[in-house]
Amino acid sequence: MNIIDVQDITKCYGDFKALDSVSLSVPQGCVFGLLGPNGAGKTTLIRILMRISAPDNGQVLFKGHPMVADDVYDMGYLPEERGLYKKMKTGEQAMYLARLKGLDRQEAYTRLREKFEQFGMMDWWNKPVEELSKGMQQKVQFITTILHKPSFLILDEPFSGFDPINANLLKVEVLKLKEEGTTIVLSTHNMASVEEICDHIALINRSRKILEGDIFEVKNRFKKNLFSVETTDVSNTLLHQLENQQYQVCSQHTNKFYTRLEIKIPDTRTSNDLLQLFMQYAEIHAFNEIMPTMNEIFIEQVERANQQPSHEE
Amino acid sequence: MPTNNRAMKNKTLLIISREYLTRIQKKSFIIITILMPILLVAMIVLPALLIVMNEQKQYSRILVVDESEVFINNFTDNDHYEFSYRSGDIEQIKNEAFDQDYDVVLQILSNSQGVRSNIYYRKNLPSGLQSEVENQMDDIFFNQLLKDSLHIEPARYENIQKLAKAESTTIQIDEKGAEKEHDAEVNQIFGMMCGIIIYFIIILFASQVLRGVLEEKSNRIVEVLLSSVKPTQLLVGKIVGIAMVGLTQLVIWAALSGAILLGIQLAAPDLFRPDTMETIAETPGVNLPNTASIDVAPDNIFTMIQNYFAVSFGVIIFSFVFFFIVGYLIYSTLYAATGSVVDNESDSQQYTMPITIPLILAIVFVPSIATNPDGTLAFWLSMIPLTSPIAMMVRLPSGVPAWELFLSMGLALAFLVFSIWFAAKIYRIGIMTYGKKPSWKTIFRWLREK
Repeated sequence: MNIIDVQDITKCYGDFKALDSVSLSVPQGCVFGLLGPNGAGKTTLIRILMRISAPDNGQVLFKGHPMVADDVYDMGYLPEERGLYKKMKTGEQAMYLARLKGLDRQEAYTRLREKFEQFGMMDWWNKPVEELSKGMQQKVQFITTILHKPSFLILDEPFSGFDPINANLLKVEVLKLKEEGTTIVLSTHNMASVEEICDHIALINRSRKILEGDIFEVKNRFKKNLFSVETTDVSNTLLHQLENQQYQVCSQHTNKFYTRLEIKIPDTRTSNDLLQLFMQYAEIHAFNEIMPTMNEIFIEQVERANQQPSHEE
Repeated sequence: MPTNNRAMKNKTLLIISREYLTRIQKKSFIIITILMPILLVAMIVLPALLIVMNEQKQYSRILVVDESEVFINNFTDNDHYEFSYRSGDIEQIKNEAFDQDYDVVLQILSNSQGVRSNIYYRKNLPSGLQSEVENQMDDIFFNQLLKDSLHIEPARYENIQKLAKAESTTIQIDEKGAEKEHDAEVNQIFGMMCGIIIYFIIILFASQVLRGVLEEKSNRIVEVLLSSVKPTQLLVGKIVGIAMVGLTQLVIWAALSGAILLGIQLAAPDLFRPDTMETIAETPGVNLPNTASIDVAPDNIFTMIQNYFAVSFGVIIFSFVFFFIVGYLIYSTLYAATGSVVDNESDSQQYTMPITIPLILAIVFVPSIATNPDGTLAFWLSMIPLTSPIAMMVRLPSGVPAWELFLSMGLALAFLVFSIWFAAKIYRIGIMTYGKKPSWKTIFRWLREK
């Protein structure tokens, strides 16, 4: 079941089309990577999902029904450009933001105390926000985003501004939320974190969706039949045989113990064929398929899309 | 899940209370709220105090050396001046007089053209002495001329002068034919005060709305807020919250000023005697209401002005509150729209200009409206919604036909509806648009956007 269905959404700002007939679905309970170059339309899409702006065309379904105003109580949003009232006391401000999300005073207070303890921030409760470090402010923002336990969460570049320790803390928090059943949309340029925590991705480029799917399915779709083999001895006979059978050796690295080869398998053959060939000539230490990284897919797909003329041009 | 309506109302209340509480807890708010009435009262009391203190201290002894012999023994002593006479060599008298405890030596010379005099003094010339001497000399000289040239006794002349004096009272007749005696001057001054107060309230609090909107935009909290509330809720919450801060401040100011004034009056009842006020009004550089025309001896400073309006006090209070609220709302919604369009305060001037110009025009024309409250200029300025809160309040104490007042209020309300619509449209888009300053064309496009 999908928690979000974006159906054929178009949004224009004057003559500029920020989103052009975009449709996508976010399955319930996954971490969904919303990817795309700067200015592709991600933030516009997120704002429409959060009901901050309305689409010119198309609609959004939330849990199967057309989205209504009250749905925002079940949603949390950590914007990329996020701030707090600088002069306001941290605790007071967190209370305010939590209550705007519909929590009553008592409940907001109990949950906030708990979260502040967990993040080691109780000392800051009565300090004005401007006295907090940037990382600390980010934590406050994250806490207030998830405090009302939304079933749908949008995090826009959540890791920016965090040191590795806090970034990891946040990652653990996100995965915990996922386990608890929260669906999370993660918009980021950090492909490493996409690899680590996303189950699904959608790639938006120049106002259009150019790619969507399960992360393994996507990787599988763009794999290049590349395999990595680690052996002890690479004889000339082996290399000769590989060439004869149209295997393509892309790279060869030797260290103290092994030689590692990257080999592209032609369409006519399978990985088992390659393995059999090696078994005849060398001792195999490791054999695995090289899947494309999200980084490679991102760059390749965006560049390919940019080479195709779009409708308007 | 809470129902839509209730949740919306609660959130607006929540926003209002944040806007209100954070502002009234600020140190600057507390300081200004307490200091303002003290300053205000000081502005009224200090001149009076100075004059009272001066009166007690000032006593001048004047030695008259009259060569014309017209003035000898004709000066009148009073509480402040004592005149003595001597004849002889002026140089010698000048040398001796100051050692004999005279403050001033008055030398009167005469020639064919008339009378001239020199006033010699050491250190400082007591203030008011010169005009006192000149006035007395004028009278004495005048009486002398009456007697010598026209053969009229001064006492007879005084009678003639009294007989020949025409006095007038201004009486206004309302629609029902009831007559009310009032003083046009007091009305003018009171109206001007009302207009100026409204102006300052608008400038002070509407610009706080602009800064508040700008703060949320520039520290980027607005997107977080907009994921929970509608832009209109945020806008309404801010405007109402700041309005309540303004009302709180006004009430405290009024109460504190009243309390301080009352306290001073009890402690020093002499301070507000009509003649003291008169002296203040006549002192150059002190622009206090000219109370010389009030000849009723007031037993209370508050009742002093109360009797002099062409319109009932209730109507004035009601209109003041009305124009205070509506004027503030019109300007604060427009200022909010401006704040949402720009990224920083210095850029905002370009957009506030069309809104601020009417406000400045209104305040510039306040004196002309006050002196001619029924003129064409006064009429139109009190009808145009951007100037009417000020202009109408200036006119009102002098009397305004009911239909004009209602029309002015109606127009202001209608414009308020428009400005709310306009501001809401601009605000919801402007608040999330960063970077390039939008052109007027872009802004008008936002009005049409869904």
